[in-house]
Amino acid sequence: MNKVSVYNQKVAIIGFFGGLIWSCVGYAAFSLNFTKMGPAMAMLPWALPQWKETYLGHLVGIFFLSLLSVVVAFIYRLLLQKWESIWIGIGFGVFLWFVVYYLLHPLFPGKEPITSMNFSNLSTTICLFVIYGVFIGYSIAYEYSEMQRNEA
Amino acid sequence: MRRRKSTFRKFQHNNTNDGNGIENSDKTYISKDIEVNKEIIEKRVGLGVSFDTGVRTLEILGKQVQIYFVNGLCDMTAITELLKELMKLDARDRETPYVRDAIENHLTHVQVEYKETLEDCITDMLSGLVFILVEGEEKAFVLDVRNYPGRSPQEPDNEKVVRGARDGYTENIIENTGLTRRRVRDERLRHEILQVGVRSKTDICISYIEDIADPNLVDIVRKELEAIELDGLPMADKVVEEYIVNQAGNPFPLVRYTERPDVAAVHLYEGHVIVMVDASPSIIITPTTFFHHVQHAEEYRQAPFIGTYLRWTRFLGMFASLFILPLWLLMVLEPQLLPDALEYIGPSEDTNVSEFMQIAIAEFGIELMRMAAIHAPSPLTTALGLVAALLIGEIAIEVGLFTSEVILYVALSAIGTFATPSYELGIAIKILRFILLIAVVSFQLSGFVIAATILLLLLVGIRSLDKPYMWPFLPFDGAALWQILIRTTVPSLRRRPSIVDPQDPIRQSPE
Repeated sequence: MNKVSVYNQKVAIIGFFGGLIWSCVGYAAFSLNFTKMGPAMAMLPWALPQWKETYLGHLVGIFFLSLLSVVVAFIYRLLLQKWESIWIGIGFGVFLWFVVYYLLHPLFPGKEPITSMNFSNLSTTICLFVIYGVFIGYSIAYEYSEMQRNEA
Repeated sequence: MRRRKSTFRKFQHNNTNDGNGIENSDKTYISKDIEVNKEIIEKRVGLGVSFDTGVRTLEILGKQVQIYFVNGLCDMTAITELLKELMKLDARDRETPYVRDAIENHLTHVQVEYKETLEDCITDMLSGLVFILVEGEEKAFVLDVRNYPGRSPQEPDNEKVVRGARDGYTENIIENTGLTRRRVRDERLRHEILQVGVRSKTDICISYIEDIADPNLVDIVRKELEAIELDGLPMADKVVEEYIVNQAGNPFPLVRYTERPDVAAVHLYEGHVIVMVDASPSIIITPTTFFHHVQHAEEYRQAPFIGTYLRWTRFLGMFASLFILPLWLLMVLEPQLLPDALEYIGPSEDTNVSEFMQIAIAEFGIELMRMAAIHAPSPLTTALGLVAALLIGEIAIEVGLFTSEVILYVALSAIGTFATPSYELGIAIKILRFILLIAVVSFQLSGFVIAATILLLLLVGIRSLDKPYMWPFLPFDGAALWQILIRTTVPSLRRRPSIVDPQDPIRQSPE
């Protein structure tokens, strides 16, 4: 029981920092005009005042994404924790990208759909999601196998 | 002439036969007839052909005594002392039936061993020990009078610190174990020795602290070492590294080297396993991750705050060394990416050579300069520096070959490479930078992003001794990453790093 709660704690930490680190990198990519989708995108669905378009929006977006990532991490933990492979993480990242930019696209007014994104925008966002997926996935799978090994 | 050649061939032939004899471990026991022994040994080690092997024959109490030695590896004063004592014994001339015991009692040395086979004796002799044969006896005395040519401990050139210990490992494995034990006075420190190399019989020492290090890891390392089958290991530690970790096609260093005994001791206490190879001052620390290569002893010689500052400066330098050139090139090729605040970046005047070629040429020049600086004898380095500074700096710009910005960023990257504590990692980063540059010049933005992603994923995929290479960043371990980002105070370090699977995870025991 105790071991599992330690493990859950670790999953939560992995999720939080995964969100924090990679949305910061996303913000950097946004500032360098690599992509038009900054972390502030997470704030778009909410009815918020004008500041959600400025750097404040990005900071709040980073924080929100970090919290959201905890949920994402637990989803990974429930479904895929057993396979310690980078490829699973990559697939997970691509899947998340698809969910965010295709399925959830109606939530982000004013952002162009996948079909009209240019190639650099596309590659930047996919790469970011792939690394994010590997970060969450590989870390959780590693923690899981460490826990299994210590029990044995 | 022809005859000579044929005898030479015959001699060679004999030799290889003997070599096989050793490998097949057909033991030759010491004969009671001392002349037979002498004949075999003469043939084996080429007494009279090799000038550095020798035998001294004495007549003591009516028995013939032979002392075999290699003159370059022995302490001659010790041998002289030995001879003196034996001669005195003979001069007293008391008849005794127990000649062997009398001789043994007069061997002036603390360490006397007995060997029964000629193979053991010869191996010892070639390691610098002497062995003594007594007529009519089937056991040889072996005395350790080794005195290897070598230097005394000095501060290693590439791991200097402002304060702290100035000693470094030497080429002598015995001295090296001594230097370690000076810092680890623990009864549980183990120095396992084994010999590798069919012909060289190189000593390799595995060091670890028994109740901390992971026994599986020790086993893996030991097995890998025992599996090495080679003539010899003249390049010592590097050869061993290539056998322990499979490094083909991977520019990144998979083990950490150090020449500092204090660094080695720190890692022993953390639960790492250390491999020392005779005749090399660099020792191998396993297991290693990427982040072992970005730390330096100096950080632990300064206040934690300053240590952190040094570390961050270094991280920033390494980061810049990897990314600043590709990013600059990207901004030059796609100026619309530049944020408004950075609009001044980019070459202001048109140049004759494309930016990528400029960078490539400048990098090539720096690489040449670096190599030249390593190989040039010191009186020439001043001249080299002058030529290099003039050529690459001023004149290349005036001729119109380079823009000043290229020089600035190439120089910045080069300095970042030199500031990387691990020389091997510095070179690996240089290679990555070049891959990124090529990706940028071929596919611009998407090339940069995709190449950076793939390189990061490849790094994450590396496992050295079954440990993930990018730990603790990915797989993420917050507490361990914190210790890499921040040089924490030593008293606050409660736990050993989990990557080594320590048997005893707590550094300071509660009592």
